[in-house]
Amino acid sequence: MMRALASAVAAVAILAYPLVFSTPFQQRLGALVLLYAIGASAWNIVGGYAGQVSIGHAVFFGCGAYGALAAYQHLGLAPIAGLPMGVAVSILIAAVIGVPTLRLSGHYFSMATIAVAELVRLVVANTEWLGGAQGLSGPPVPRTLLDLSFTSALPYYYLFLAVLSAVIGLTWWIERSRIGYYLRAIRDCERAARSLGAAAPRYKLYAFILSAALTSIAGALYAVMFGFVDPESGLGILISVKMVIMAALGGAGLLLGPLVGAVILVPLEELSNSLLGGAGAGLTFVAYGAIVMAIARFQPGGILQRVLRLRRKARPAPAVPVAQP
Amino acid sequence: MLIEARHVTKAFGGFTAVDRASLAVEPGEILGLIGPNGAGKSTLFNCLTGDLRPTSGRVLFEGRDVTRLAPEERARLGLARTFQVPQTFEHMTVLENVMIGAFLRTSRTSEASVRARAVIDTVGLGPLAHTPAHSLGTPGRKRLEIARALATRPKALLLDEAMAGLTPAEIARAIALIRDIHASGITLVIVEHVMEVVLSLASRVVVLHQGREIARGTPAEVTRDPVVIEAYLGKRAAGAANRAAPPASPGRPP
Repeated sequence: MMRALASAVAAVAILAYPLVFSTPFQQRLGALVLLYAIGASAWNIVGGYAGQVSIGHAVFFGCGAYGALAAYQHLGLAPIAGLPMGVAVSILIAAVIGVPTLRLSGHYFSMATIAVAELVRLVVANTEWLGGAQGLSGPPVPRTLLDLSFTSALPYYYLFLAVLSAVIGLTWWIERSRIGYYLRAIRDCERAARSLGAAAPRYKLYAFILSAALTSIAGALYAVMFGFVDPESGLGILISVKMVIMAALGGAGLLLGPLVGAVILVPLEELSNSLLGGAGAGLTFVAYGAIVMAIARFQPGGILQRVLRLRRKARPAPAVPVAQP
Repeated sequence: MLIEARHVTKAFGGFTAVDRASLAVEPGEILGLIGPNGAGKSTLFNCLTGDLRPTSGRVLFEGRDVTRLAPEERARLGLARTFQVPQTFEHMTVLENVMIGAFLRTSRTSEASVRARAVIDTVGLGPLAHTPAHSLGTPGRKRLEIARALATRPKALLLDEAMAGLTPAEIARAIALIRDIHASGITLVIVEHVMEVVLSLASRVVVLHQGREIARGTPAEVTRDPVVIEAYLGKRAAGAANRAAPPASPGRPP
C-alpha cells in the first residue's frame, strides 16, 4: 500500500517536473538527466547484471549519434531515421568485441572495450564521410516534425522519459526471467553457473548486444536533441566513464540504480560547468576519479543498495529460524 | 556405461596431474574415487565435468564422446556436480541459487521457483529458502550445492569432497542425504578424502596415486591392498600392515 502510494507520487513528480521547474535551464537539465539515465541503464544490463564492466560504451553511443546525423547529411532523412543503422552497427561491433573476449575471464573484456572505443574514435576523426574532426550537424531549422528539432527542451523531456520507461521496463522483464537469473549467477560465479547449464559465453554476449543496441538509441537521441556530434562528444572516453560511474554510484545491477546515479551526477556536472565554464572540463575528470574511489572504498553496491539495506533493517525481522542446517 | 574416461591424461606444463587414467561408471552405482593428496582426483573429476579439457584421452557420457563439450552442455545431458570449495551465488538467496539449476529444464520463472522449492525441502534447507547464500555456513553451502545440482535433474551427480569441513555429526547427515539421492535413481561419483565415507557409500572404488590408477575394486578389497596402504602411509606402514592383521581402513592420509 505504502509502496504503491510512493510509486504514484514519484510518477506524478517525474511527469510534472518540467511544468513546475519550467525555466529553459531546468527543463534542459531534466531532459539531460533522463538521457544519461537511458545510457547508464543500458550499460547496467551488461555491466551491472552480467558483471562485465565495459569501459567502451561510448562506441555504441557514437554509433547512434553518427548514424542519426549521417542519415541526415548523406541521405537527407530525418535524423531519427538513422537510428536502425546506428543500432545495427553497434550490434555488429558488440559481436566483434564480445565473441572473442567474453569467453575469457578477468579484465580482457574491459580492456578490449576501451581499445575498440578509442580505435573507432580515431578512425572516425579521420573519416571525411563522417565529418572528420569537425563532426556532423543536423538540420539547422526543422523541416518537418519528424526532424524532432525543438527550441524548448520540454518535448525532449517527455520523449526521453518514454524511452527511459521502455528501457527500464525491458530491464525489469529481464530481471524476472531466466536470462536475468543466469546473468546474476554468472556475475557471482561463472564456473558454478556453467556447471548448472547456463551457457555463460552466450548469455554474456546477449547482454552485451542488447546493452549496445540500447546505448546507441541514447546516442541517437542525443544527436537529435543537440543536432551535432563530433568525435569527442560522440565517442570520447568520458562518455563511457560517465555511464559506468552513474550506474555504479546509484547501484549497478539494480533496476533504478542508473537513474539514481544520473539524478545525482548530471545536475552536479551542469552546475560545475556553468560555474567554472571552460576550466571545468579538466575538473570533471578529477571529480569522476574521486567518485570512483569513494564508491570503491565506501559503498561498492552503490547508493540505492545502501538505502534498500537500511529499509530492510528498519522492518521487523521475519520469523525464520537462523539455525544452520 | 553412464560415464567413461578412456586413458585420460592431463598435464599442466611439465607436470602430469593425471596419467592415462580410465574409469567406467555404471548406471545406478556409487563409485568412489580416492587417493592421497595430490593424487589427481580433482583433476580427473574436472575432466569428467568439462571444467578441464584432457591433454589426451576421451570422456564419454552414455556412450557419446563429450571430451570437447563445455560444462553447460554436459549439464544439459544430465551430468551435475558440486565443488570442493563451495561456489554458491553469494548475492542470491538459497531459493534463487537452486532456481539457477531448475532453469536448465524450464524457461519459466514460476515453474523454476516451484521446482527449486521442492528440491530445497528434500535436502532440508526449507526454512532457509529466503536467506542469502552468503550467510550460510559450510554445511549449509555444501547442502545448497547439492540442491542446486539436483534441480538440474541429473542422471549422474559428481560430488567433489562433499564432506570436507564437516563435523562427524554433519557427515552422518550428509551420508544419509547421499543415500536418499542414490535411492532416487541418480548415479553417483564421489571424490573423498574421508575414508569412512567412501567405505560406507561406494560399491566400487578407484584409487589414484600420483596421477595413475593403482587399484580398483570393492572398498574391502582396496583397503587390504598393500599398494594402496603404501601410497597412503608409506612403505614401512605397508610392511607392518602385511605382518599384522590387515587394517579395515588405511585411514586418513598423513
